Amino acid sequence: MEEKEFDLEQMEKETEEMLRINMLTPENAKFTRTAGGFVSLETGGEKYPRVQVVRMFPFTDPGHFISIRTTEERSKEIGIIEDMSSLDADTRKMLEEQLNLRYFTPVITKIINVKDEYGYAYFDVMTDRGECRFTIHMGGSDVVHLTETRIIISDLDENRFEIPDVTKLSATERKKIDLFL
Amino acid sequence: MILKNELPAGILSALGLTTNDEIYYSVPYDITASGLYQKDAWLVVTKDRLVAYENGAVKKEYDICGLLDVKSENGVSCGVLYVVPKVTGEAEVVVRFSAHHLARFAYVARGCRLLISGSDERVKSEEYEKICPKCGRALPGTRECPHCAKKQKGLSSEIIDLARPYKLQFAGILVLMLLSSLVTILHPEVQKYLVDNILTDPNGTFGAAGLCLILMFAISMASAVINVLKNYSCSKLGTIVSTDLRQKLYGKIQTLSLSFIDERKPGDLMNRVLRDTMRVSDFMAGPFCNLFTVLIILISVVVYMLVLDWKLALLSFVFIPVSIGIAVFFRHNIHRRFHMQRKKEDKINSNLRDVLSGMSVVKSYGKEYDESVRFNEAADSYALTQRRNETFFAILFPIMQFLMGVGVYMITFFGGKSILHGEKTIGELMQFVSYTTMMYSYFGWLSNLPRHLMNLVTSVERISDVMNQEPRIADSAKAVKHRVQGDVEFKDVTFGYKTYEPVLEHVDLKVRQGEMIGLVGASGTGKSTMINLIMHLYDVNDGEILIDGINIKDIKTADYHSQIGVVLQETFLFSGTILNNIKFAKRDATVEEVIRAAKMANAHDFILKTPDGYNTYVGEKGHNLSGGERQRIAIARAILNDPRILILDEATASLDTESEYLIQTALQRLTDGKTTFAIAHRLSTLKNADRLVVIDGHRIAEVGTHNELMEKKGIYYGLVTAQLEMQGTKTDDTEARDA
Repeated sequence: MEEKEFDLEQMEKETEEMLRINMLTPENAKFTRTAGGFVSLETGGEKYPRVQVVRMFPFTDPGHFISIRTTEERSKEIGIIEDMSSLDADTRKMLEEQLNLRYFTPVITKIINVKDEYGYAYFDVMTDRGECRFTIHMGGSDVVHLTETRIIISDLDENRFEIPDVTKLSATERKKIDLFL
Repeated sequence: MILKNELPAGILSALGLTTNDEIYYSVPYDITASGLYQKDAWLVVTKDRLVAYENGAVKKEYDICGLLDVKSENGVSCGVLYVVPKVTGEAEVVVRFSAHHLARFAYVARGCRLLISGSDERVKSEEYEKICPKCGRALPGTRECPHCAKKQKGLSSEIIDLARPYKLQFAGILVLMLLSSLVTILHPEVQKYLVDNILTDPNGTFGAAGLCLILMFAISMASAVINVLKNYSCSKLGTIVSTDLRQKLYGKIQTLSLSFIDERKPGDLMNRVLRDTMRVSDFMAGPFCNLFTVLIILISVVVYMLVLDWKLALLSFVFIPVSIGIAVFFRHNIHRRFHMQRKKEDKINSNLRDVLSGMSVVKSYGKEYDESVRFNEAADSYALTQRRNETFFAILFPIMQFLMGVGVYMITFFGGKSILHGEKTIGELMQFVSYTTMMYSYFGWLSNLPRHLMNLVTSVERISDVMNQEPRIADSAKAVKHRVQGDVEFKDVTFGYKTYEPVLEHVDLKVRQGEMIGLVGASGTGKSTMINLIMHLYDVNDGEILIDGINIKDIKTADYHSQIGVVLQETFLFSGTILNNIKFAKRDATVEEVIRAAKMANAHDFILKTPDGYNTYVGEKGHNLSGGERQRIAIARAILNDPRILILDEATASLDTESEYLIQTALQRLTDGKTTFAIAHRLSTLKNADRLVVIDGHRIAEVGTHNELMEKKGIYYGLVTAQLEMQGTKTDDTEARDA
């Protein structure tokens, strides 16, 4: 746009592009792993050396509607993968690696100890990613209920931890986090 | 924020380093490549190497000179550091880390980029840690940890410093405390005398008993008077201390740089000024007021009991842990329950606030029923918690009292036995029992003390954190008053609100006196930042800004500010009259000056339409003004004191075309001979500008007159044509003619 005259057609085309929902399927998109641990994409005659893989509904539907985006600051959508399970095993694994790189929300499997002191609560937990200690504000809205039983805890650094179902915790564990439910 | 951590022994030699000095940055990372938590993993950067060290071995290693770029990329509560080696030109993941280290790695990546560019400058971070690296506790928004600071002399002397100016009052309170403990101890003693020497003595007379009772009554009266006096002086002193602190804090905050204030949540500083000082005064009025009284009474009572009957005394001591335990348990439970109740209450509150402020949306979507169901749920759940808590108190409180009393029953039992054996008198036992009850309740009270102390220490720490802050833009010793002419020069200026995220890089711009400069560019490119720097609200990170050839740092800030006029995008009006708002810049302005300024801002006419004219109250709860009206008042304020430099940040954005045209013309007359910087998205606003400066990608991309830039067919040309197209290609528009 900088080089040529202002072009109404061009503008219309961009608007069109903005509105289009472009579904990526194994037929029209080819993902490749890069040596550096990222993923590149070839689709519609274009090659993107690195793409971002973003969940549209990270909480409610992490396996569907994955947006594939360009990496620059004002990132644009290249296309959408409707269902991760429709992909071949290798591509799925590749994209899951990228999701794993982008999202880090350990799931709490066991609450070892919770100590509250002077407005902060110190958690000592076991997660699916290993043992972890973290600190949250007592007063604030650091514990969010996604549903009646599913909660997300954000610590002071905005690390997130998930408890998928509080009713599955043991009675003693529940007592420890009673204050936050 | 710590960017250079002490490395565990052994890593240095494993990396082939001899001294710590070679290390530029050493920061831990806590996630493995596959996304599991890990310990003992370090990213170490020296002048020429970048090394990831994990599990006792070097995992990845790069030569700084072989890299094109180093970046830290934020994910969702985690991040990756990646490099782009020159050989492949392809991004390569180096390490992963949780959100705990996000900011740290952003600084390190910036540091690495500096090293790549050949500079050996070390990036430092002014941000505070959130968790104390020593004890692992959360820091209450301060640099020093209140827990760990206790061990240094700092904090206690801080508290003593606080108390120093009030020596006399403290002495007075101490005397009252002594008196208060004296009368409290005396009361059971007189009571014993009454029982033993008068009531149970065959020779006791009615008159003597009366005398004794009068004495006891006098002691009670004295005790009441002393306590009232004591509480009064403590609360008074507390209020004085906290008011003093509040004023000092407020004064201090105003001298601090905007970046200090920006780095904190809006409520945080407010809390420090209001709540933390309140806590100090609460401590004075509560725990402190009784502290010495309680200590004196406790010591004398314990000694007295031991002397009186050491066996019985020891028996009663056995129950001290019980009474403390009960007090702690009770308190803990109450705290939990109140916390829950408060949370439920918050939920109702926010629910209500949401719906009430969004009522038009609720109604227009016809969701009244759904919303009331939601509200009823929250209200029911609150009621349930409340009812449970009430029941808890009703049942548990008597039980607690009973348990606390067990010790006293035991004493009465064993003491009663020794009376029967003639080893002790009735009066002595009564006195003993009184002292025991006193002791239990005071020990229970004392168990509260650590919490009160910690509250105090935290508050004092949060207060002194602000008080000890260096005003970052303080006038230097050589700062002078300067009559501004209007030449402004940017010399290789680099600036970012966070040093790892530069908003402006290497900006060079020379503006002559009286020039009107239009700043153009997409949002977030740094136009407003440039203006903030011209206003000297922030200090540049690198390079310098010259006003008439003098470094902006060497001009007295207050003097400088009195010579610039500002109209910002967010027009802020203080609670007060329109007159006071216009006169904000120049308190001693005459009526004529105010009216002229208002007329020039095209505000005079609408002001007279308001019921109270220039005396109309505006601001938070005042007369409702439209966005355009507020903006016009702000313009009047800016031009009132005839500034040498005028700054207009989207100053006319909320105005209709007609008013904008009127103000533009007025401003044009006004800006004659004044250096003006104007930001506008509507490019027609800038048609009078002498030069336009296009900012893109943190730098100045294009400079020139409208015609020059149109011929260049660069970014500016693109913007103008795009705006014309959107207006529907009206060819009689000024821009089109110029183009």
